Amino acid sequence: MRAVAAIAHNTFREALRDRVLYLFLGFAVVLLASSKLFGLLTVGDEGKVIKDLGLAGIQFFTMLIAVMMSVLLISREVDSRTIYNILTKPVRRWQFLIGKYLGLLATVALNLALMTAVLLAVTVVYLGEFDAGLLFAAAMILLEMALLTAFATLFAVLTRPMLGTVFTLAVFVIGHVSEDIWVLTKHVNSGLVRPLVAALYAVLPNLERFNFKSEVVHDVGISSGEVALTVAYGLAYTAMVLVLACARFRARDLV
Amino acid sequence: MSRRLLTLAAVLALGSIAVLCGKRLEAIPRADVLGKQLLYLPTPEILRLASLGNQGLMADLLYVWSIQYYSQFALDEKFLYLETVFDLVTDLDPQYFDAYRVGAMIMSLQKYGDPAEHKAAIVRLYDKGLRSIPDSWELAEVAAWDAHLVLNDRELAVRWMKMAAERPGAPPEVKRVYGRWRDDIHGWTIEDSIAYWEEVVAEAKRKPDVNLATSHLYDSYVTLDRRRLDPLLVQFRQRTGKCPGSWQEVVERGLLAEAPIDYLGNPYGIDPASCALVARKRIRWD
Repeated sequence: MRAVAAIAHNTFREALRDRVLYLFLGFAVVLLASSKLFGLLTVGDEGKVIKDLGLAGIQFFTMLIAVMMSVLLISREVDSRTIYNILTKPVRRWQFLIGKYLGLLATVALNLALMTAVLLAVTVVYLGEFDAGLLFAAAMILLEMALLTAFATLFAVLTRPMLGTVFTLAVFVIGHVSEDIWVLTKHVNSGLVRPLVAALYAVLPNLERFNFKSEVVHDVGISSGEVALTVAYGLAYTAMVLVLACARFRARDLV
Repeated sequence: MSRRLLTLAAVLALGSIAVLCGKRLEAIPRADVLGKQLLYLPTPEILRLASLGNQGLMADLLYVWSIQYYSQFALDEKFLYLETVFDLVTDLDPQYFDAYRVGAMIMSLQKYGDPAEHKAAIVRLYDKGLRSIPDSWELAEVAAWDAHLVLNDRELAVRWMKMAAERPGAPPEVKRVYGRWRDDIHGWTIEDSIAYWEEVVAEAKRKPDVNLATSHLYDSYVTLDRRRLDPLLVQFRQRTGKCPGSWQEVVERGLLAEAPIDYLGNPYGIDPASCALVARKRIRWD
């Protein structure tokens, strides 16, 4: 466990040195400026617009970190040959990979926490309300990003950095449209398409299950059962992808 | 060196021409005859897919754009694709309260075209909103006031205000407005009116709400009593040729067992000019 923690800590510090937190500053500027702008342009409840914009921004910027950082997750260690140094120590390959994953996730989580704090501050200043629901929506985004980061880790092991980025982005897009495509195929009469889409729909991650943004913005109640199932779904799926990544990494020839 | 200077001069000259032409073109007003901005309006399905889980934000952007777009129109112009646009916004975010309210308001403002069609579109938009936000008494109330003040349709106003009054969290004011409107259009029996107002009085917690509801309940009871007592005054006048000075005279003639009292326990009077029942509502407001 100490090996995993040490690698995670190192990955996290490395990410901070790469100025990843600048994304948070970008988010803060975008949110502050656009909140004021939308406040001027909209008619009615500007709070909804600020919350929609803030939560979408948090999701977008954290996704960017997860996708972009995945490029460097393994390749940088191989290129700089530090991985050989690490693996000669009593560190197992799976520990190295899980440490990398946790370090990346910690970076994502820190950014997400800072962005959520900005969003909460903006809602308090502009709307005079503290909406605790935003914390819940942000927590669900973190769960989504944990799964996406797991995929980024898997692709970092499976393929080249550039392809890994493309594949992770593809998972993000597919994860958000799979449900809609499934619904749209109800109108398709072809005998083959529907079972095929059904099979893909069952296997691919459904990232919309973590999307509680509308419920939070409109203050619609969410059952604790649904939340528990979502957390279980996210954790189980993430663990499964990480196990696959570890299995592949163990068999990978690093020379 | 001279070649570089020549290139730079050419770039600057051509750039200046382009900028100047662009500025002059901007100054020429161009009407959006075909509604170009609307020609490529995507379907809700496509926008939903493209939003990657941020349909709410997509609805906000479209809503803000629509407000800017339609505020360019003169009221006697044809408001292009107005219903389609607000249908799209509310398809993306069915719980978007402001989109229903503001969409209906813009629809009601336009003077071009058939008012009946505009009204039908407003009703469709509000009905969609009331289905999509089943717990919102606020939207039902807004719709009811629009039906009352803008569409001049009392039946529709009463229907939507009833919806508002029956929804969870509806304040006493909404319940009173519904009861009052229903009384005004004689939309129920007097017995139903009394039962409704008794319920409103029982539910009211603040003293002003209790008093106001009691006032309406009192009026309903007076209407009921008037139906029973006014014919007795007519009978009395037929027998004696004059209007009684008090209810005691009616009792003495054997037309009534005892002098009638109102809902609050006070005696009724008689108006000598019209020979009809007079109620004196005495509610303590302090």
